[in-house]
Amino acid sequence: MIHDLRIARRDWIRQASIGFSALAAVVFVAMIGMFVAQSLPVWRSEGLSFLVSNRWHYRHAAFGALAMIYGTLVVSAIALAIAAPIGIGAAVFTSEVLSARYRSPVKIAIELLAGIPSVVYGLLGIVLLRDWMFALTQPFDPLSGDTLLTAGVLLAIMVLPTVMTIADDALRGVPARQRAAARGLGLTRAETLLSVILPQAWRGIGAALLLALGRALGEGIAVFMVIGRQDNQWPANPLSLRPLVEAGQTLSTKLVGSETHIAYGDPLHWAAMVNLGLVLLVLTSAVTWLGVRWTRRKERHAASR
Amino acid sequence: MTHSTNTTEKGAQPVSVNDARNRVSPFAIAVFLVVASLSILIGCGSDGEALRINGSTTVNPPVAEAAEILRAERRIEIRVDTQGGSSGGIARVADGLADIGMSSKPLAETDRAKYLGVDFRSKKIGADAVALVVSKDVWDAGLRALSREDVRKIYEGEVDDWIAFDLPEQKIAFFDKEPGRGTWEVFATWLYGDSSAAPTVDFPEVGGNEETRNKVATTPGAISQLSMSWADGESVFALGIYDDEEGSVIECTPENVEAGIYPMTRSLLLITRGDAEGNVKMFLDFMLGERGQELVRKHGYLALADLGEGE
Repeated sequence: MIHDLRIARRDWIRQASIGFSALAAVVFVAMIGMFVAQSLPVWRSEGLSFLVSNRWHYRHAAFGALAMIYGTLVVSAIALAIAAPIGIGAAVFTSEVLSARYRSPVKIAIELLAGIPSVVYGLLGIVLLRDWMFALTQPFDPLSGDTLLTAGVLLAIMVLPTVMTIADDALRGVPARQRAAARGLGLTRAETLLSVILPQAWRGIGAALLLALGRALGEGIAVFMVIGRQDNQWPANPLSLRPLVEAGQTLSTKLVGSETHIAYGDPLHWAAMVNLGLVLLVLTSAVTWLGVRWTRRKERHAASR
Repeated sequence: MTHSTNTTEKGAQPVSVNDARNRVSPFAIAVFLVVASLSILIGCGSDGEALRINGSTTVNPPVAEAAEILRAERRIEIRVDTQGGSSGGIARVADGLADIGMSSKPLAETDRAKYLGVDFRSKKIGADAVALVVSKDVWDAGLRALSREDVRKIYEGEVDDWIAFDLPEQKIAFFDKEPGRGTWEVFATWLYGDSSAAPTVDFPEVGGNEETRNKVATTPGAISQLSMSWADGESVFALGIYDDEEGSVIECTPENVEAGIYPMTRSLLLITRGDAEGNVKMFLDFMLGERGQELVRKHGYLALADLGEGE
């Protein structure tokens, strides 16, 4: 009797969760549809030059997002380049070196960092980081402390907990037996780490980096406060490092700014802003999709082993 | 969903009754979902009760203080927000997302054209001036005033070093107010006659007054447009402006604004949809009354009586 009731309940919850999932899917598809429909005017007027032109002057109805795409990618790349070694290093420390007694307080402390609202990071960025970066980059003669580099460093601090905690989980996922066996064969701790543990955990670590990249791409408020929000910053030489000490703009900072209010009511300008959102959505979705594929393949490997 | 993954991980063990008891009951999850969605709905519903004010960071200080007083005295919920500046305030009032918009620029024809059918009403609560502020190093180097032509050259990038004004060599770090901000509109109107005639330039942009003051104060060679009341003379310094004809310096002081000599002045406005009623009217009356006007003065602006417009 009780058993029947349980099954009935489980059926009910199953249907409810299918219903909710369907609702979520419908909302998502409708949202994409709305984004595409509302961005049509700008595709009609700009065409592909929306993606390959770096002239954005809304009062002249010129909408080219290249400089913002560039800014988004550069800032995220800086963030990852800094957060990856430090985050993975910290994960190795907590999972391989630290004793169990201290591991969880340290991990909790780091995970708490992930919960700090981004506006707080932004304020700290204005108050501290901006001035430090300005002093630090003096040899390169920056105009102010609002630079792509400052934004990248701030983002690195923000995604560090993500990298560290997920990489730590991946490392802890490697069975203790294998550590013991490796040490038993006479491998040093460093050799065990490099040739036994890291090769097995690197997919999980890759997933950690992709998740961090996803967050970095979409971050708005904190970056907004320290990047300078200067439009149309396109380097004469794409390989030059000069733009790093200059102000710039990312897709998210443009969307956070006041231009959305001005765009409202003007179909073309509004379409351009919506399209920025769409480009950002495609970028983050691509990263998420890669991350999912990555972890799936890991499961398949594990199954075939 | 969780059930199926759990069983596969455990090598498809049969789920015992004891096992099921240890899990979170599906019923509890369902109750949680219902409660969560209901509370969201209720949260949205109670939004209608509060008086929502949004817009310019320039108008914000006296309005926010008035809101604090009224919250305590009349026990009404008032929320004051400054996301998006004057344009943001106007847009939110038009959409019904705010009851009162704070604006430091007059409603333009373009605003009315954009929101056809919205019956905007604006009430002037005081006046302010836009100052050109510079960082301490520029001020200490001896710069006290610029002409309109000087500012145009800086704005259009014809000069990019303070050396052009007989100061020590230092790059000019111009922070431009975001478009849509009342401060920018006043500046562009002064410089080009009409803000829509302003050329498109790319400078690092700043938003609210707080951010502007902070960034100018901490950047050598910095100059920006800032509400007069925020130019404190300690971290940022207001420049005078050379009179176009006589060449004498017009200082950025309340006296010169009051006398109508200083060129970059603007009204502080509260904008509503249609005739003000209930709490909206109460708030407007408070701002126009003696205590509200005192708050306008307290925050460094000119009250209506100072302008000879008092009621």
